[in-house]
Amino acid sequence: MRPSYPGMLQREWEDVTEGEEVPRITSDVTLKRVIMDAAATWDYFPGHHNVEYANQQGQKTIYINTMFFQGFIDRVITDWAGPETWIVRRKMTMQRSIYAGDTMFGEGKVTRRWVDDDGRHLVDIDIAIGNDDGVACPANATVELPSAGAR
Amino acid sequence: MGTYEDGLKMIGAKSEVRFSESEINWPMIKYYCALVEDANPSYWDGDFARERWGSIIAPPGMLQVWMSRIQWKPGGITPAASLADSIPLPGDTLINVSTEAEFLRPMRIGDQLNVVDEIAAISPEKTTRLGTGHFVTTVATYRNQRGEVVARNTNQLFRFTKNQPSSDGAAGKEA
Repeated sequence: MRPSYPGMLQREWEDVTEGEEVPRITSDVTLKRVIMDAAATWDYFPGHHNVEYANQQGQKTIYINTMFFQGFIDRVITDWAGPETWIVRRKMTMQRSIYAGDTMFGEGKVTRRWVDDDGRHLVDIDIAIGNDDGVACPANATVELPSAGAR
Repeated sequence: MGTYEDGLKMIGAKSEVRFSESEINWPMIKYYCALVEDANPSYWDGDFARERWGSIIAPPGMLQVWMSRIQWKPGGITPAASLADSIPLPGDTLINVSTEAEFLRPMRIGDQLNVVDEIAAISPEKTTRLGTGHFVTTVATYRNQRGEVVARNTNQLFRFTKNQPSSDGAAGKEA
């Protein structure tokens, strides 16, 4: 780990071990935040701002969209790895919704540390995003970290 | 609507090029980072971002945001036409299954993105908890104004006909 932006550390590839936990972060998904989600992503699908519509879909209230999930997955990674981390690839599967009023969590585990044919120093991570009912969105990602050896 | 064979003929079909409404810009980046509560200085601090990436960059999670449609503009807006929706297949309902994004280059402030969708695969008929239908895989290729590919987004959705409630009344409620 080396200092990066003031108050932040950057994890280097050599610092990471397979099986290592990526710490849990949590966040309160208030009603305002779900509305902000629609506005920030320009996504006015009614399930994200209209409670009546969400109810008709069988959902208990309005829920966050895919682009919020994606940003939160990436934040789980970069809060842990540091701001100089490049997200190479990220796959997510939507299983359940996260609703206004929920507390959302995200956490992960390192599954593989490897170097690709281009010499990039990579780490694979399994990530879970969920609420009090459990996992809502399993994901996995490959990220590129700076290497201490290449410094 | 159509048959599986009709659908298979659409593999390799591409959408027209669609351009983002707005170039990549810092206010929208900050608004999105405020939503996610992401303190990464790559998105907030010009000096740090210039040093590391050459400029402030957009968070990868914003890839699809740049292609969101504006809600009104002079002269009117064209309705969204989804390529996956246009495939002649049985089934009138869609549900998104998974999304895999691959990021090749940073998305920088001032970049103007465009996207082309392509139908990559259609599965044989499958029956799930929701109904019977086909899994459709599309690949969206995002480029910047220099024609460089910045990202590819592979999306899988299920195009299906909803299960009919059974006649004995036992399955009258949706799961």
